[in-house]
Amino acid sequence: MNRHEILKKLMELDFVAVELQLYLNTHPDCREALEKFNFVVAQAQMLRQEYERKYGPLTSFRSPSVYPWQWINNPWPWDYSFNFRTTES
Amino acid sequence: MWVYEKKLQYPVKIKKPNPKLAKYIITQYGGPDGELAASLRYLSQRFSMVTPQARATLNDIGISFSKLLTIK
Repeated sequence: MNRHEILKKLMELDFVAVELQLYLNTHPDCREALEKFNFVVAQAQMLRQEYERKYGPLTSFRSPSVYPWQWINNPWPWDYSFNFRTTES
Repeated sequence: MWVYEKKLQYPVKIKKPNPKLAKYIITQYGGPDGELAASLRYLSQRFSMVTPQARATLNDIGISFSKLLTIK
């Protein structure tokens, strides 16, 4: 997978994790949601590590960095090249 | 309180830049009815919620409003 492909997959997983997390706030006893949540979080964690290993840190103080300090590197999420389209057009 | 991640929650790829619309959208951030004020209001209200469910949910709503600002 290239950068945009990994990023898209990671964004999808995190999106699902957030939705399930919000649901679990008001349904803390729902086993089904909790199992899905734990599965998605584990998947996202693996993909996050792969992304960071290949393309640099996603957070400024919870990701290791090779020399020199990588956090300040482009692209940033507001750069056009950072993002991708959801559908081909 | 927050951890910034160098990625977006949902992809943004502008097909047709529209400075006029952008100028209007940016006015919705500030002021008494803006996104920023709403975010801070939710984050204040969470302190006085009675149930754990409501406390956690208002915390999340406050955070999600502040995220709308970073999508821009």
